[in-house]
Amino acid sequence: MNGKALQPTPPPSATSEDGEWRTLSARVIWVDLAQSALSLLPGVIAIYLFGIELSLNTLWPFALIAVVGVIGAISDIIRWLFTRYRITDTEIERRTGVLVRRHRSVRRDRIRSVDTQAKLRHRLTGLRVVTIGAGQQTSSGEAAFVLDALTRHDAELLRRLLLREQSAATVHVDAADASTDAPAAEDTTAKRAEQRGDVEVFATLQPWWVVYNMFSIWAYLTAAGLLWGAFWLASTFGVNLFDLATRFVDWDQIGWFGTVVIAIVGGGIIGAIGMGVNFFTSNWRFTLARARVADTTFLRTRRGLFSTREVNRDEARTRGLSIGEPLLWRWMGMADTNVITTGLDLWDTTEPTAILPRGPKSVALDVATRVLGEPCPINTPLPRHPRAALRRRLWWATLLTTVAVGFVAIPVATGAAPIWVLWAAIALWPLALAAAAIAYRALGHAISGDYLVVRSGLLSRTTSALRRDAVSTIAVRQSLLQKRLGLSTVSAMTAAGWSTYEAPDVATSEAVSFAMQAAPGLIDEFLDSRRSLHEI
Amino acid sequence: MLDDITEITPDFDTGDRMRLPRLRIERRAIAWWMLRAFVLWGVLLAALIVAATLWEPARVWLTAPIVAVGVIFLAKLLVEPWWRYTVHRWEITENATYAANGWLVREWRVAPSSRIQTVDAVRGPLEQLLGLSTLRVTTASSYGTVKIRGLDRATAEEAATRLAVVAELSEGDAT
Repeated sequence: MNGKALQPTPPPSATSEDGEWRTLSARVIWVDLAQSALSLLPGVIAIYLFGIELSLNTLWPFALIAVVGVIGAISDIIRWLFTRYRITDTEIERRTGVLVRRHRSVRRDRIRSVDTQAKLRHRLTGLRVVTIGAGQQTSSGEAAFVLDALTRHDAELLRRLLLREQSAATVHVDAADASTDAPAAEDTTAKRAEQRGDVEVFATLQPWWVVYNMFSIWAYLTAAGLLWGAFWLASTFGVNLFDLATRFVDWDQIGWFGTVVIAIVGGGIIGAIGMGVNFFTSNWRFTLARARVADTTFLRTRRGLFSTREVNRDEARTRGLSIGEPLLWRWMGMADTNVITTGLDLWDTTEPTAILPRGPKSVALDVATRVLGEPCPINTPLPRHPRAALRRRLWWATLLTTVAVGFVAIPVATGAAPIWVLWAAIALWPLALAAAAIAYRALGHAISGDYLVVRSGLLSRTTSALRRDAVSTIAVRQSLLQKRLGLSTVSAMTAAGWSTYEAPDVATSEAVSFAMQAAPGLIDEFLDSRRSLHEI
Repeated sequence: MLDDITEITPDFDTGDRMRLPRLRIERRAIAWWMLRAFVLWGVLLAALIVAATLWEPARVWLTAPIVAVGVIFLAKLLVEPWWRYTVHRWEITENATYAANGWLVREWRVAPSSRIQTVDAVRGPLEQLLGLSTLRVTTASSYGTVKIRGLDRATAEEAATRLAVVAELSEGDAT
């Protein structure tokens, strides 16, 4: 089996469907060698420039960096040596692994996305990591089909080949110099493509969106990470930052309250700056565009400064769109925009379904209109749900508070827990009631053209528009309390996105007709026939 | 704050309504649900009581949970099985699978035959004991599964075969 796989390397730029086994780009090896050298560098600098004492205590961090770096590089070279891929008329195949040989093949007509990414080391050497997505693999949790890495030129050719872009590919090859990664080259190709009219740009990065991405609870985590990193780095060079801080500032004079204020404000500022920098590096040159190729259209996002990422989402797989508005930032109109699509992993930390960075709602709505078309279903006015839905939420808020109080009542009564625990439990009540009212006001549902639109959510009020022909299972649910209040919850299940989209607490009289419209023709045969006869 | 909202009064006479599915489940399912209550909640209750007896300091914290679990256990043992038996119904037509489930929370669920991906007849250990089977009809949505519990083993297998044929006939990749 290996005999065929280890044939001599064919010319590197020949990415075509001739069925020859190919190696990954040889530049990967140079990157690995450079990585080994770089991982030794911190130790060398520490010893020669700072004159660090040569002992195990001072040198272990540098030794660790060096060992991890070199081992990583060597294993990567071995991986390169044993990885082959080929493209045939019907399939793309990859063989990899030394001890455990893996052979993966993906049928070309099942390919739903071809994404290219580049970390800094790839960008410097003109390499691209290609991830080939076929929906079933992501949903069953298997590792994706990754080619790490090809030259930028080969990656582009491969992408176009697999996404049936052969006609456009020739134009692109003329414009792009395979050996460089200059932004100018990207610009000209992008412009040419735009001139040909097959790329329609929906949104580009506006620097002031950074405001939307600086303030969140994660800022403190970022600050903690940054400060810990600074402390650790300084201490390896023999400087104790904590000592410095106590020496120059008289903490006794400031008092514990002042200290807490300084920690919160200072930590917040450091964290916010860190988050802002992170926003710019990951969303640098962000563009969202619709690329039209033959009879297929893709929603394409490109972003990143040090590491770039391009994601192409087949619009034939798109089932809708959702806009989420986080509770604490609703006053400033913050919105997260995601497409509802099959074959993309929602749990992926790189958020492939997000077609916009977190930003203003007006932009999100504008993009939604251009993606879904006029009139935009997301903009449909959604009538308020019956007041009974508010009553249900108030009852639940009260019940939860009662349970919390009941849980701590006996321990407090016997003195096993301090009295303030009971007060804390009681103080939950007004909070829960307010949350109930907010959650109630978020409710909404409607049918708009080909889409069903539902809105709900307390912490993130999410409006989702889902194509009606994508609904597979439909369910109407009613609890005892809902039955008393004349409410029902209608759920539309689909293969895409979160899999289920719910309209909670619809008036029972309306629920079945909403379900009928949400999944046209599905439940007609199960309607109460007496009612139908009566109608005639 | 909320006074500006116009209230939509539920009018049960004007809205569309769904009829119940035509078929009922096996009476043996009552015994199955009772056994299940023993295995899950009975064991949990016993464990809590044992913990409270053996571990003196924790007793004050365990009183409320023991009462709560005790109440749930009794409800699951004496109320849920009979209630579920009156609610659960099912029906399979050429176009769709329709099931009514639940007790405190009732649910009516319809899955179209054209979107069916897999059909399984599943039997857990307790179900095997009673000769019962659960029919599980899955669609491409991970939440869209229709479960029909408490069927006779032969009935479930026959229904599974019939649905598999229907699913085979419909075209497309069912997403």
